[in-house]
Amino acid sequence: MRRMRRPLSLTLRLTLLFGVTAAIVFAVFGWIISQSTERHFAAEDTSELEIIARAAHDMLSGFRTPGDVTQLKQRLDDILVGHHNASLYVVNKDGQTVYASPGPDLSAIATAAGRETEGKVVNQWQVANHTYTALIQLVREVAPAANGPYTLVIAAPIEAHLHFLAAFRRTLWFMIASCVAIVSLLGWVAVRQSHAPLHDIVARIRRISANELNTHLPPETVPYELTELAVSFNEMLQRMDAAFHRLSDLNSDIAHELRTPITNLMTQTQVALSRARTIDEYREILYSNMEEYERMAQMVGDMLLLAQTDNHPQIKNIEEVNLADEAHALFEYYDGWAEERGIALTLEGVATVSGDRLMLRRALGNLLSNAIRHTPVGGTVRVKLDTSTAGNNSIVVENPGPEIPSEHLPKLFDRFYRIDLSRQRGGDGVGLGLAIVKSIVTAHGGKIDVASAEGCTRFQIALRKRPASMRRPRQDRAGDS
Amino acid sequence: MKILIVEDEAKISEYLRQGLTEAGLMVDLARNGLDGHHFAMTGSYDLVILDVLLPDVDGWRILQALREAGNKVPVLFLTARDSVDDRVKGLELGADDYLVKPFAFAELLARVRTLLRRGAVPATETMLRVADLELDLMRRRVTRAGQRIQLTAKEFALLELMIRHHDEVLPRSLIASQVWDMNFDSDTNVIDVAIRRLRSKIDDPFEPKLIHTVRGMGYMLETSGEG
Repeated sequence: MRRMRRPLSLTLRLTLLFGVTAAIVFAVFGWIISQSTERHFAAEDTSELEIIARAAHDMLSGFRTPGDVTQLKQRLDDILVGHHNASLYVVNKDGQTVYASPGPDLSAIATAAGRETEGKVVNQWQVANHTYTALIQLVREVAPAANGPYTLVIAAPIEAHLHFLAAFRRTLWFMIASCVAIVSLLGWVAVRQSHAPLHDIVARIRRISANELNTHLPPETVPYELTELAVSFNEMLQRMDAAFHRLSDLNSDIAHELRTPITNLMTQTQVALSRARTIDEYREILYSNMEEYERMAQMVGDMLLLAQTDNHPQIKNIEEVNLADEAHALFEYYDGWAEERGIALTLEGVATVSGDRLMLRRALGNLLSNAIRHTPVGGTVRVKLDTSTAGNNSIVVENPGPEIPSEHLPKLFDRFYRIDLSRQRGGDGVGLGLAIVKSIVTAHGGKIDVASAEGCTRFQIALRKRPASMRRPRQDRAGDS
Repeated sequence: MKILIVEDEAKISEYLRQGLTEAGLMVDLARNGLDGHHFAMTGSYDLVILDVLLPDVDGWRILQALREAGNKVPVLFLTARDSVDDRVKGLELGADDYLVKPFAFAELLARVRTLLRRGAVPATETMLRVADLELDLMRRRVTRAGQRIQLTAKEFALLELMIRHHDEVLPRSLIASQVWDMNFDSDTNVIDVAIRRLRSKIDDPFEPKLIHTVRGMGYMLETSGEG
C-alpha cells in the first residue's frame, strides 16, 4: 500500500493563505494607484500643451502679414510666456522653420510626424536623450502668401514627472511587499495563538490514563469551533469507559461464576476424604462432582463461542436459511419439555435469511428455551416471522409472564446477568444464553431488542436479508467433496 | 478392536486408555507426535484418536501422512479450540469425526463405537429386537410383549438410536444431535423429558425395565435385564 502523504501543517496553510490574499489585494490596489497617478500627470501635461496650441493656432490663423517675421516671433513668444517649460516650433509646407522657441530642437518631431498629420496628435518623443510630450497640429487657414499650411509642434519635457513616477512606483511596491510580509507574519502568529486551545486539549487528553476514563473535557471550556471535537471525544471516552468496565466486570463475573462450583467441589472432596466412606458414598460424591464439572465445561464452551463470535464476526458458512423450518425443528425438540410444563408453541409467518444455519438455530433455540422457561403454566410461546418488502426480516419470540422491570431490560443480554440474584443457580443454565443470541445476531449484522409490558415479554430480532457485513462463502472450498 | 491414542497430556491420555480398555478395547498410547506418527504408519489399528495440538509433529501431519499413504483407518481428532477453521481443516484432511475439549468421556466412547462399527455391519436389517421389544423399521411399528405401542416419529428415532447402541451410555448431547440434529448444549432438560415419555410407553407397563439412567453421563438401553 502506498503511504499517504501527510497533509501540510495548518499553520503553514493559513499563513500561506493570508500571504497570498494580501499580495493579491495589495497588488491590485498598487496597480490602480500607479495607473491613476500616471494618467493624472499625462492629462495635466496635455492640457497645458493644448492651451498653447489653441493660442498659437488662433494667432497664426489670424495673422495676415506673413512678411512681418519679427511681429510673428514676438506674438508667439508672448504666447509662451508663463509656460516656461514648453517649446514651440512652427514649420511651413516646404519644411522651412517659421518659428522655433529657444530650447530643444523640435524639427525632428515635425519631420517624423510628417505631412499626413491631420488635426491634433499628442505623443511622447525622444529628442536628444530627453523625453517630451509633444502636440502636433496642422494650421490650414494661414495667410495665402504664408506658404501654408503650417505644422505646429508644442513640446514639454516630462522627465521630472517620469522620475517622480518611477520613484513613486518603487516606494509603492516596496510598501506592498512589506505589508504582505507583515500580514503573513501576523497571520502566522494569530494561527499559532489560536492553536493554543488545541495544545491545551492535547495536554489534557494526555493526562487521561486508563484508570480515569470517566473524566471528560467540559465542552464549554473550549473555543466554539472545538466544541464538536470535545463532545465526540467525550462520547468516545464514555464508550471506552463502558467497554473497559464491561471487561473488568466480565473478569470478576467469570471468577465469581467459577468460584461457586470450585468451592462446592473442594468442600465436597475434602469432607469426603476426611474419613473413610463406603463405595456408594464415594460414587455419590463423584456424581455430584460430575454435575459441577459439566456446568463448568458448558460455561467454558459458551465463553469460547462468545469470544469467537465477538472477535471474528465474519460468518463463513453462509447459506439460505428458512427460519420457519428452523423454528419447526426447534419446536419438535422443545415440544415434550414445553408440553410437560403445559405450554403451547405457535409459529406464524415465514422468513428466509442468509447466514450460518447452526448459529441462527442456536440463537432461536436459546430464545425459545428462555421463553418457555419463563412462561407460566398454560401459556403460549409465540414465534412470529415476517419479511418486509425492504428485505428486512423480523423474528419475534414472545411469551406471557411477569413483567421485567425496565431497568433490567438493557442488561438482559449481558453475560451472566440475572434479574433475580437469589435464583442464581436455578435451572437457568450458566447465564450466557441471551448473550450468545445477541452475539450471533450482531455477527449477522442484525439487531435485537426486548420489551416487556402488559404481562408479555417480547424479543425482536431484525435481520437484513443479505447483510452487507457478511463475507461471501469461500470459493476455494467448492471443489472439495 | 485396536485403538491408537496420540495425546501428549499425561492425565487425559492415561484416563482415556483406562476408560477405553475397560470398555473392552485394546489401546496403544503415543505420548508425542513422533511416536504417534510411527505407530500410526506401521501398526494396524481400527481407529486413531488424535490430539491435533502436539509439541513436535502435530496431529494434522499424522493425519495427512496416513491419508497420503492410502490408509483409510477412521480418525477422530481432539481439538482444544472450538474453532470452525479447525473442524473444517480436520474434515478436509480426511478425519472422520472430532471432539472439542473438554468433552464427556461417554460422548467420546459413543463416537468411538460408532466409528468402529462404521463399514463393518451394513445396516440392512429391517427388524430390531431387544428382549421382548421389537422395532419394525420398514413399517415404523413398535411392539413389546406382543402389544402394539404408539410412538411419535421422534420417539421412534430415539428408541432406534438406543437399540442400535444398546449397552452403551448415550450422553444427552449425543442424543440431541442424533435425534433432533441439535448440535449445541442446551441448558434445559429436554432430553430427560423425552426419555421419561419414552419410558412411560415402553418400560412402565412392562418388566424388565430396559432404559436406565447412568448418573452424570446419560442413558443406556440395557439388554442383560438386571435392575
